[in-house]
Amino acid sequence: MHEPDFHDLATRLVQSGIAARHAHRAANEIRDHYDDLVDAAVNDGAPSREARRQAARELGKIDDLVSEMSARRELKAWAYRYPRAALVVYPLACLAALPAAPVYAGIANAPLLARWGASLLAASLFTAGLLLVLQLSILFG
Amino acid sequence: MAKSNPPFMSGVPELLLLRLLDNREMYGYELVRSIKEVTGEAISLGEGVIYPVLHSLERNGSLKARRKPVGGRTRVYYSLTKQGRGRLQDLQDDWRRIQGGIETALESPGHA
Repeated sequence: MHEPDFHDLATRLVQSGIAARHAHRAANEIRDHYDDLVDAAVNDGAPSREARRQAARELGKIDDLVSEMSARRELKAWAYRYPRAALVVYPLACLAALPAAPVYAGIANAPLLARWGASLLAASLFTAGLLLVLQLSILFG
Repeated sequence: MAKSNPPFMSGVPELLLLRLLDNREMYGYELVRSIKEVTGEAISLGEGVIYPVLHSLERNGSLKARRKPVGGRTRVYYSLTKQGRGRLQDLQDDWRRIQGGIETALESPGHA
């Protein structure tokens, strides 16, 4: 038996509609459970490879875990439990978020924007200074 | 799962988990070991099966979960809520009623 792919488990749970927080936490818990089973088998004297095989067998098939979890409606993401409401709410939420997106991007990149603004100001002052010197040299030169 | 539970076992994992968590908080692996121990291995759940049950019980407010670092790993410990104690009482009452009914049926002469 191959070692279970726990990253794949979380992805499959999310794809089957399980809320992300439940999917990732369950996958982590099951991975820890597998590690505990391996440790227990090794402590009982099993060689590492046999311990992993035994742990995977005791844990069960990933397919069964996914179907067991996805059969529980209460663990599904909101949009899967209320698909019709999600069809209305999600587009409206996106529409509302659209004007806020540049503001959010500005806040998120504030240090970068500040550096860009400071560079622009410095360049403007330098150019203005040069123009002033040129002007004065024309007038009094 | 390593061992599948027959259909009449429906609800049994929930009852056992709530009963065990009534004593103290535990994490998944500990719970599976405890179930084997307290039932004398008569009931051996597929090890991965308990996580959907635990998450469902948490979702309906019977359990609460908290992360706790133990020996380099972050364990998720489950404990019973007040609502969970009520649920445990209801399940125990249901189980005893069913158990009584089945015992009566098994002890009475056959009608077939």
